[in-house]
Amino acid sequence: MSEANTSEMAAVSIRHLSKSFDDVEVLRDVELEVKTGEVVTIIGSSGSGKSTLLRCINWLEKPDRGSIHIAGQRIGVHEDGRPMPVRELAKVRAKTGMVFQGFNLWPHLNVLHNVTEAPIHVQGASKREAEERAMALLEKVGMVDKRDSYPNTLSGGQKQRVAIARALAMQPEVMLFDEPTSALDPELVGEVLAVIKDLSAEGYTMVMVTHEMAFARAVSDQVVFLEKGLIIERADPETFFTTPKTDRVRKFLENHDTPSPA
Amino acid sequence: MNASAWHMLLEGAWTTLWISAVSIAIGVMAGLVIALIRLARIPIVDQLLVLYISVARATPLVTLALFIFLSAPDLGLDLNRSVAGILALTLNTTAFNAEIWRSAFRNFSREQSEAAMATGMTPWVTFRRIMLPQMVITSLPGLVNEMSFLIKGSPAIAVIGIVDLTRVTNRISAVTYEPLPPILVAGVLYMAIIGCLVWLQRLAERRANRLAT
Repeated sequence: MSEANTSEMAAVSIRHLSKSFDDVEVLRDVELEVKTGEVVTIIGSSGSGKSTLLRCINWLEKPDRGSIHIAGQRIGVHEDGRPMPVRELAKVRAKTGMVFQGFNLWPHLNVLHNVTEAPIHVQGASKREAEERAMALLEKVGMVDKRDSYPNTLSGGQKQRVAIARALAMQPEVMLFDEPTSALDPELVGEVLAVIKDLSAEGYTMVMVTHEMAFARAVSDQVVFLEKGLIIERADPETFFTTPKTDRVRKFLENHDTPSPA
Repeated sequence: MNASAWHMLLEGAWTTLWISAVSIAIGVMAGLVIALIRLARIPIVDQLLVLYISVARATPLVTLALFIFLSAPDLGLDLNRSVAGILALTLNTTAFNAEIWRSAFRNFSREQSEAAMATGMTPWVTFRRIMLPQMVITSLPGLVNEMSFLIKGSPAIAVIGIVDLTRVTNRISAVTYEPLPPILVAGVLYMAIIGCLVWLQRLAERRANRLAT
């Protein structure tokens, strides 16, 4: 009973999660709890399984074993092991918002309609209501003046800010960021990080995979280090970046820019 | 050419136009449905569809039209000429359209549908709102190409007695003994019809530029 209770309190609760691609184990018995309002950063070298872990949370990747609850609700399979019908899965997925490395805006829709599409066609919001909500979000990410533009006319940083607004439009319980600045030109990284930082200040629950160490240190409540599908270290950012427990993390941090509190 | 010759020409043009339009409309939809069914890779059904597509693509339209028209009574079907003509054109164009749609499905980026699913769209909503609009835009050059092939191939249905835009020029010159004027006018009318399609395609291309990132 107590387990059900903690699951309900957590925005995301991951238990005994394992996944293999062919013979390679990419996630091994991962346990992670993200409380409401918390920012969790997942760090690790490429191939460590961090993107797979993030993509399991909204079931874009299907884990082999283990369970994931979003705001107390199981995703992907029912508690008795039956696979979840697509409509039901979509409903649970809507509790999460995802921001991709490659933006993945819908090129046939303008900026405003990229943001209103899901609220109208998933939630059944009226056009007016969806547009009001979208305009407030575009204001938040500084993209109001581009509302009628099509994605192909935007810079990478602008695309990613629209993508953030699109994910927020579904009023998700948790935002998932999959290396949101990795595909950006260096001079555009700042504008996207600034938006994400604002969101953390506003109390949004976020799980983020990133290589921006200084940023991770500045916004995270919890930093998780993934190595070959195992969480080998987790701590608050101060402890993680100043006194890592394992040699592996120490080495990893040495090879990255030593972050100073931003 | 006198007034009645003009009248006959326009009637022939109308016949070509409506029979082609109906065949195109059914053919584009049916091609999409076949492409969708083939995505599911249902055993036997899939092989049957592949067989249909290969046969239909390999059969000349004249042969197909004759076969349908002549075999219908044996199958107990009472087909009038127009229906038989539409059936022949549709069976032919559907096969080509199915391949065009199939390659559009194959080339559709997984990231695009993942972004849709991630917002909570069901596969059906994802298909309708995100995939189909983009697939229409990318497939349009191929589809319009196939449409103009169909219109240019449509004189084949004259073989079962339909008086289309080409056949009618024969009838006119049988009376006037001047074959050139009606065939010239017919040529211009064909060009006008195809020209409309090309114009439509250019409109679509302007939209397609948006998809190029």
